[in-house]
Amino acid sequence: MQAHGINAAAITFDSREVLSNFAAAYKIGYPLLADAGSKVIREFGIFNTNIPEDHKMMYGIPWPGDFLIAPDGTVRDKFFLRSYEHRVSASEVVLRHFDGRGANSVEIKAGAVSATVALSTGRCFPGQELGLALDLRMEPGWHVYGKPLPSQYRAVELTLESPLIDGQSLELPAPKPLLLKALNETLPVYEGGFKAYGKVGIKWSPPMPAKFLEPLGEMIKPGLYRIAGTLRFQACSDEICEAPQSVTFELPLTIEAGVPPAPKKSA
Amino acid sequence: METERKIEVLHGIVRKMMAGGADIQTDEWVEFVEAQNDGYRTGPPIGAKVPDFALPDQTGRSRPLHDLMGPNGLLLVFSRSADW
Repeated sequence: MQAHGINAAAITFDSREVLSNFAAAYKIGYPLLADAGSKVIREFGIFNTNIPEDHKMMYGIPWPGDFLIAPDGTVRDKFFLRSYEHRVSASEVVLRHFDGRGANSVEIKAGAVSATVALSTGRCFPGQELGLALDLRMEPGWHVYGKPLPSQYRAVELTLESPLIDGQSLELPAPKPLLLKALNETLPVYEGGFKAYGKVGIKWSPPMPAKFLEPLGEMIKPGLYRIAGTLRFQACSDEICEAPQSVTFELPLTIEAGVPPAPKKSA
Repeated sequence: METERKIEVLHGIVRKMMAGGADIQTDEWVEFVEAQNDGYRTGPPIGAKVPDFALPDQTGRSRPLHDLMGPNGLLLVFSRSADW
């Protein structure tokens, strides 16, 4: 993020002492802000009103989420997921707003079509949401199809397949209608190339071994995994229409081990 | 989720965790997560100005928003707690 001129800071309702201890335990270099009394959390409108006032441990927490704030102080984007157990990775923010390439990518070449498929990071924790990017390029005079499309043609589609994945999406730009003289049909196409961004959810894994957490999700072992993917498309030029293609690829992804809580200062 | 049930679950799980957590049931845990997420709000919409603020960082230094800001922006992360 620093390379892209974005700073990071985190806010919690903890005291400065707690944050100082946490920063030392995990060697955190960015500011951890102590919003004791949850004044700023309230001002942002994300004070968790489910927590009863007499709940000593939790009263004052926010609904957790991230804001990407522009230099003029306005919200450029925000990331709140369906449950506090799932979090966005900072790399998704960078991929989406500052760098279409991504840190973990694979090149695909098939005839007149070449593509770069990227995950925003090569390392993550279970329960994180990563960015996905597709940069598709065609040689001049060629096109690929978009949706909606008659069933005899194949629209561009990118899918990742892995037992680690819990939901994925890719927002393709709108294709342009093109009159195909040889077919005497107008179909939605992409010419030249396009960039598309999406999300990949990595499955949640119990943060610690506990009997009551077992039914909710299997423990994901830390280590290197290979995420398989398929890029489907059909490339045509004014003269030739190729058969639909399915190009398979793999992206490496290292799942990090869970982090134990910071040791208490008094201990 | 009913407010009374929410309160019961939020207190109940923490009490059980303090006692070692051995008798926490899966259903109770799911309710505990839901009780926190229920009706969650996400603050200022995209394009809106965020509230100005200044808060002390881990070293005790006061950090106003403009001081935290990078040349291209600031990723401001709201977390539940760094204590548990």
